[in-house]
Amino acid sequence: MIETRITKMLNIKYPLLQGAMAWIATGKLAGAVSEAGGLGIIGAGTADPQWLKNEIDEARRVTEKPFGVNLVLVSPYIDEIIELVLRENIPVVTTGAGNPGKYMPRFKERGIKVIPVVASVALARRLERQGADAVIAEGMESGGHVGEMTTMCLVPMVVDAVGIPVIAAGGIADGRGMVAALALGAEGVQMGTRFICAEECPAHPAYKEKVLKARDRDTEVCGTTTLHPVRAIRNRFVRYYLEQERAGLSAEELERLGVGKYPDAALKGDVENGSILAGQVAGLVNRIQPAHEIVSEVIREAEDLLRNGLGVNMCLD
Amino acid sequence: MSVFEGVKEIIVEILDVAPEDITLESKLVEDLEADSLDIVEMVMQLEDKFGLQIPESAFEDLKTVKDVVEYLEKRLQEK
Repeated sequence: MIETRITKMLNIKYPLLQGAMAWIATGKLAGAVSEAGGLGIIGAGTADPQWLKNEIDEARRVTEKPFGVNLVLVSPYIDEIIELVLRENIPVVTTGAGNPGKYMPRFKERGIKVIPVVASVALARRLERQGADAVIAEGMESGGHVGEMTTMCLVPMVVDAVGIPVIAAGGIADGRGMVAALALGAEGVQMGTRFICAEECPAHPAYKEKVLKARDRDTEVCGTTTLHPVRAIRNRFVRYYLEQERAGLSAEELERLGVGKYPDAALKGDVENGSILAGQVAGLVNRIQPAHEIVSEVIREAEDLLRNGLGVNMCLD
Repeated sequence: MSVFEGVKEIIVEILDVAPEDITLESKLVEDLEADSLDIVEMVMQLEDKFGLQIPESAFEDLKTVKDVVEYLEKRLQEK
């Protein structure tokens, strides 16, 4: 049993969080992950409150265990979404795309755990000062929105800088990654890309197929000249976008180019002209499995490594 | 040390620019090439150095070095 401050804080069996991919981290997926002993997280994305309400209800049909909601702070519905989260007594929220500072007091007074995603040491320190319960340090190996630091470097630096627990994300898809993260000082991990290929995830089959087929070098970061770079699997859209970016298209025009491309791929299955967001770790994801199997496999691998050593010979004198 | 000197010292360290290139008129983003995470780092160090808390709502108005200096002077007076 891998027990950390995270398992205790979130009242979960395993320190394994499911990343909240917008639109496809639904109640069904989050419920299944939580039921298996991890923490499922519904991705509120920019969806309206009714969508989120339905997904929360769905998760509750699947499990009685705790699950979380990820808030996108730039969502046009953010105020209503937060009201809904409070009304539904969701025990934990993760946040991305912005600083949750101004919402913190409302969550704190209700005892809701707030776990922001951070891509720098300074932001981690700031959010700790503002009352975050833990942070998710996410490296640029991850899919979707990315920062500049790698997980290998960011996690130990954040661990050294804050006193609250750190969850590692970006580039983790199996027990080896989990143990590596624990070695860096993390007390939990968050995995997104592998859960795209969970049976319960409603991503379009063509999207899942792309993730399964992706090899090590098949993802690209698009939009480094904009404020919101994202990692996606290379396809016709990514090639076109990068051409335009190299040709010097303005940040505004590039942002416009990307609008709606992710749901086109994830929900409609347009894997040529849509944006297939996924992490570099897609190269390690080779099977579609039920969520509970993913959770138990990762945990079993991690526990085996911790119990039996790392396969290196060590001379102790 | 004046507030300006204190701010300058922090900017020099974070952004690796020459002290003589920093004037009151310097724009943080356009002239000094700070990105949003640099601003967070700067605010954290300002909080430590001047012993106050700077809320998120104040960030938007801090465009130039002068904005930062005047904001700090106002807050320090209120203390």
